[in-house]
Amino acid sequence: MQNMSSRENNHNPSPSSAAMTIREKEEYISNFNFPFCDESTKYEKVAKIGQGTFGEVFKARDKSNPKKFVAMKKVLMDNEKEGFPITALREIRILQLLKHENVVNLIEICRTKASQANRYRSTFYLVFDFCEHDLAGLLSNVNVKFSLGEIKKVMQQLLNGLYYIHSNQILHRDMKAANVLITKNGVLKLADFGLARAFSSSKNGQPNRFTNRVVTLWYRPPELLLGERNYGPPVDLWGAGCIMAEMWTRSPIMQGNSEHQQLTLISQLCGSITPLCWPGVESLELYKKMDLPPSQKRKVRERLKPYLKDPYAIDLLDKLLVLDPSKRADSDTALNHDFFWTDPMPCELANMLANHTQSMFEFLAPPRRASQMRHHSLPRPSTSALQDSGYQDRVF
Amino acid sequence: MPGWYYDKKEIRNSPSAQDALDFDTEMRYRKEGARFIIDTGSKMDLGYNTTATGVVYFHRFYMFHSFRQFPRYVTACCCLFLAGKVEETPKKCKDIIKTARGLLSDEKFATFGMDPKEEVMTLERILLQTIKFDLQVEHPYSYLIKYAKCLKGDKAKLQKMVQMAWTFVNDSLCTTLALQWEPEIIAVALMYLAGKLSKFEVLDWSGRNPRHLRWWDVFVEDVTMDLLEDICHQVLDLYSSQPTAVPDSPPPKTQSAPTPTKKSNNDQDKIETSDSSNNKAIQMTDMAPYQYQTFTTAPPPTYPSVYPAPSIPVTPHLSAPPPHISAPPPSVFPQFVNHPPPTFPPVTGAAPPFYPPAAPPPQNQRPFYQPQP
Repeated sequence: MQNMSSRENNHNPSPSSAAMTIREKEEYISNFNFPFCDESTKYEKVAKIGQGTFGEVFKARDKSNPKKFVAMKKVLMDNEKEGFPITALREIRILQLLKHENVVNLIEICRTKASQANRYRSTFYLVFDFCEHDLAGLLSNVNVKFSLGEIKKVMQQLLNGLYYIHSNQILHRDMKAANVLITKNGVLKLADFGLARAFSSSKNGQPNRFTNRVVTLWYRPPELLLGERNYGPPVDLWGAGCIMAEMWTRSPIMQGNSEHQQLTLISQLCGSITPLCWPGVESLELYKKMDLPPSQKRKVRERLKPYLKDPYAIDLLDKLLVLDPSKRADSDTALNHDFFWTDPMPCELANMLANHTQSMFEFLAPPRRASQMRHHSLPRPSTSALQDSGYQDRVF
Repeated sequence: MPGWYYDKKEIRNSPSAQDALDFDTEMRYRKEGARFIIDTGSKMDLGYNTTATGVVYFHRFYMFHSFRQFPRYVTACCCLFLAGKVEETPKKCKDIIKTARGLLSDEKFATFGMDPKEEVMTLERILLQTIKFDLQVEHPYSYLIKYAKCLKGDKAKLQKMVQMAWTFVNDSLCTTLALQWEPEIIAVALMYLAGKLSKFEVLDWSGRNPRHLRWWDVFVEDVTMDLLEDICHQVLDLYSSQPTAVPDSPPPKTQSAPTPTKKSNNDQDKIETSDSSNNKAIQMTDMAPYQYQTFTTAPPPTYPSVYPAPSIPVTPHLSAPPPHISAPPPSVFPQFVNHPPPTFPPVTGAAPPFYPPAAPPPQNQRPFYQPQP
């Protein structure tokens, strides 16, 4: 430990204060060369590519390998009363666990050097492999055109990623196009595990009591909107269905501006929410409190037909956008669907993406026109839990 | 330094040792810090996993920093604070400090300085960087239960044995075992010890195949009796080392540095603890023919168990003779055993390699001490 500075000169007035004084500690912290936690200066920031509830995300270059780019996500700690945010710890723990082609790769966690300038408090960054695009950014660019085979490839990778995280007992809980990254080589990565958590079917017979204040409103499944707290992987599959439809509509298919309106939009698309099609829904907390449109017919197929002709695609969407979570297709079932096993087969995205050398992120794109499906250009709502102050607000 | 396991030489050559703190004192500090985390945790109704995680952070922290630089009770609070968040049982920092205040003398609490909360918060950043953000820690408890469910024998004795092993695991947190061996190995060793002390006879076990001489062969490979004995002794030595009349705080700097390396060459294969009187009393020889000798001279665990073992649900096969008929096919993990849900899911579908690539080899074969230049 080369940095254990010699303390021989420091007089310790009493045995109990043999530990360091504040100043010594500050010096110790700024000099200690944490062997496991590199300094963020090994990367050089290139551009800001994201801003949201989580804080800032930057694109950066690895100074030791100028061809290598990373994304650096800052851990916001400014308003933390309870130290390092529990949500960030959760995200780190989950990302360390998940290693898969279709899940964003956490390279390391970096720190700024503690110094007087930052009151001897390091800032931490989560460092990821850089992905050139996100799906929301790509879909908002009319010049980016996906063939049916390419759409299949996107959905296949997305479902593969979900299958992997779910079999590791992790729920993503924030599926949306902006959280689906795509590299320039066409590899899809699920990203932003800031709301993710581990789940088990239930602990000693007790139903889970997860928060239902998760998932961006437009992608939020009906069970969460109705107050379910004992939910599971189907919440992510609903989002997968919304994203799949968006591959053709190019904008989110249900853009509610309140939870009630979101449920109304869902009812208008998937039919009225009744105990008949969804046994047990009557016991959900908000089912009776919400005034929902009665006697709506299910119109998934007819409403989507103007956008997509492929009957297999429509059939798969019909199985994903199912009100009753227990009847919704899981990722395994979905991956076995004929959609992925009939011509045209899933096809690599790399060639198509090679035509687009500019990174496309939702953050950098002009606001998407929400033309096709009823809504005006609302600002895209971010994940429900309060905004602005990052991790802290997502403690539940 | 890729893994979190160290050999005894590395533990002896800790930052505290380099900072001129003698080994026995460091071991005492580790023990006191760990005990304090356990006591604080149990007082705050934190579960055994949370406290154990906190203790492991604590031991790891002092593989990079000296006890002279970082007073142990502040570090202990910080480790418990972080472990609470990581294990999804968060406690407010001020509540932890309040509880700590109640457990510590004025003199000890003085190490928290003028602003104890600030002290803990600042330390948390140092702790996180030190432990490489490796937040997920596994403990022997879950393995203990898993193994117990596979053993066949007298039900009441099995329960008693598991309780005793559980207590040993609690107490093992006060040693540096978590820095030396994987939780699976510690669980096997302490169950073996408890089996001997409680005279529990393992008649058979599920998942047995003809190559298996001992029940743990189902779960861990290449564990020698020497290794098991060494682990058992490290725990048993806790019960024999008396509280000494040394001051609570680091000895003055003027004290001459200990010379761990001088001693080490002779110590080659011995258990290194402050008190090795037990080593003579307990003759644990390699005992292939009689796997469950008991030794009567060993002292029973005396420390009160803060975290009692949960009762083992009696799986049908435990009471159902004859074992030969009901014995399952020789799969490693018989399907009818209800494994407790893992605290955190496995990384992949496939079983992870038992020894992480960088971990020490599974036997005591590595040299404890490199030859001195």
